Amino acid sequence: MDITFLMNSLWVMISAVLVILMIGGFILLETGSTRMKNAGHIAGKTILTFGISSIVFWAVGYGLIFGTGNSILGFSDFFYSGYDVEGLGLSGPVFFLFQLAFAGISLTIAFGGFAERAKLSVYLVFALLFSILVYPFIAHWIWGGGWLAEHGKQDFAGSTVVHLTGAMAALAATILLKPRIGKYNKDGSANNIEGHNQVFTALSVLLLWVGWFGFNAGSTISVDGAFFGFVALNTNLAAAAGTVAAMLISWIVVGKADVPMMLNGALAGLVAITASCAFVDTWAAVVIGLIAGILVFYSIRLFESRKIDDPIFALSVHGTAGVWGTLSTGFFATPELAAVGKPGLFYDGGFEQLGVQALGVLACGAFAFIVSYIILSIMKVSMKGLRVTEEEEIIGLDISEHGSYGYPELVRSETIAKEKTHNGSSIQQAPLNSQQPTVN
Amino acid sequence: MELNSYAKIKDFRIKRFKAASINNEELNLFHDFVHESVISVALHEVVMRRGQPSSPFCFFAMGSAGRMEQSIWSDQDHGMVFAAEEPTDLEYFLDLGREISNGMEIVGYKKCSGSVMASNPLWCKSSADWGNQLDYWVTDSTWESIRHLLIFADARSLYGESTLLSILKTQLANYSEKDQLLVRMLHNTMHLKKGVGILGQLLVETYGTFSGSINLKDTAFFPYVNAVRLLAFYEGINGTSTLSRISMLSDSIMTPVEKVFYREHFSDLLEYRLVHGSHIDYDAGHYVDGMALTKKEKKILKEILRAGEHLYEKVRRLIERM
Repeated sequence: MDITFLMNSLWVMISAVLVILMIGGFILLETGSTRMKNAGHIAGKTILTFGISSIVFWAVGYGLIFGTGNSILGFSDFFYSGYDVEGLGLSGPVFFLFQLAFAGISLTIAFGGFAERAKLSVYLVFALLFSILVYPFIAHWIWGGGWLAEHGKQDFAGSTVVHLTGAMAALAATILLKPRIGKYNKDGSANNIEGHNQVFTALSVLLLWVGWFGFNAGSTISVDGAFFGFVALNTNLAAAAGTVAAMLISWIVVGKADVPMMLNGALAGLVAITASCAFVDTWAAVVIGLIAGILVFYSIRLFESRKIDDPIFALSVHGTAGVWGTLSTGFFATPELAAVGKPGLFYDGGFEQLGVQALGVLACGAFAFIVSYIILSIMKVSMKGLRVTEEEEIIGLDISEHGSYGYPELVRSETIAKEKTHNGSSIQQAPLNSQQPTVN
Repeated sequence: MELNSYAKIKDFRIKRFKAASINNEELNLFHDFVHESVISVALHEVVMRRGQPSSPFCFFAMGSAGRMEQSIWSDQDHGMVFAAEEPTDLEYFLDLGREISNGMEIVGYKKCSGSVMASNPLWCKSSADWGNQLDYWVTDSTWESIRHLLIFADARSLYGESTLLSILKTQLANYSEKDQLLVRMLHNTMHLKKGVGILGQLLVETYGTFSGSINLKDTAFFPYVNAVRLLAFYEGINGTSTLSRISMLSDSIMTPVEKVFYREHFSDLLEYRLVHGSHIDYDAGHYVDGMALTKKEKKILKEILRAGEHLYEKVRRLIERM
């Protein structure tokens, strides 16, 4: 067998594994950024919905994206049986798995907007419908030879296809679900519902950062010229720049070296470079990451001020940074690296590529948002609401949706203490440090 | 109107506090008067229940009340020292402490969340026990003991035999190994929450009901109050208000020009809080709405905040060099 074929297959298989492990990163990200009463639910539903997405992708998703069809959608290769695809240069099942992982990531991003208040059944139904009616369209338009591919849209590993699509579905969900209890005060001011474990969140970013080498560098789907190394280098630089930029901007503007913001900056850098990692020079990767880190800071503040409760900042990290990343190739794509489309504005390419990128963002963003909004609106009516009851939200989705807590000892003891306090019992669990005197 | 019940004192406080809020000094004299009235009623209640106190005692205020720096709303921070030594005496004065604390709450002063109140045996002791307690806190030097010492440093007699408190404060002032203690105190209180960003902007709260507001307590008051308290402790100054402490500092620690500079800015701060603070309740009184300030008012506030930070740095360097 051809050694290049084997090497390509091996490299993409490794990348697929790295991308699938990013689901683990998202579990830590979402649980760490939310409260412990919902941790088991969030971790469990992420695995479950990846399972649903995998089966749907096998049955129809792959065919809708890569099947033979028109510029809107593919219509063949349903229920993929593991055959090789002629001219692909690597194992068909490996390519399939790699693409399946991307579809799963996009769905996981979308669910960020559902966090801490959506019913479990809503997750299940939306996983099915998003995987058929939303993601395959956009993936086909850009990667499956659809109408945006014909225009030369540059989205190397999915700033638009994976991240913006997921974020737009998250936006539709968070608008329809409305803010979590306690997020906003009567006077309209926002409260900070802190995540229960910053260590989880930091570890998640590390896991995602490493996984992104599979995501971006693996998207070369070939070992030819070891170009994957250059792509990985750009990926790392953008992530690093995003981290530093978000920390600095937070420190400069609000006077705090905010850890969650710094972590969001790393992710924003990764999301932004996803589209452009193969098309830009290393210095541009740093600039793209820096701008992403700053944008994510202001984007989070903007959404919050508009009363859009985005519990894990999916809209800003994947949406805003996804838009910026997609547009960035319109500025920075070099003539040597622009294998798809044209060079960017800074390389005498004029506004043409930037225009194509903007068109892609608008079309894909609008499509993902509108279709997700319609799906969720219909679900809201037919499923008698998307949201758990107020009581269920307060006791936590672990217990209301699954019957057991992710942190049983801790959450139960707190609940018991609260109940006893409420019932007037003498046994009360005082909050930590409540008796600490303050010098004031 | 004779102020012989908590309800009457409460009415009096509500009716008169606006008139008393013309400046910091007037306002704090008003608070003192209300406190003394509450103590009189409380003492009367306890005398009715348990008879006359067996010995002289001194009820003292700490925190912002001790420093004469209370805003319109204030919480309770107080303690008691008494001359008697019998266990039954302690019971008596603890009962008095509880009565005063409850009375103050009725009148409108929140109870202290850290229980720094004369109803707590830790803050209600005989002279001898207080002497031992201060020695213990000084030698123990744990984070908690240092915190207690810093709280006690602001103690000011409000009612009763003030000499009992003076003796304790002199004991603390005469402590011989101050340098080491001062460094521990520095580490305990010198955390600074920045009020002005590096771009010169006011740093406002980003979350909660006070988003968009500046936390004057943390960003403005703490640097001045904590820094000056340390200098006063070092020099054995018995004054408790930040302004009087600054005046009493020796010229070798702070030049006369610097004293004028910091006094003026701290006076401005007291005035600023009174004028611009949202005095809806105790918590709101510490905040100023950044959006409601004019350009000039923002400029004044930034100058106050910068001077506080400057003072904080000066004291930090001074103590670290010791």
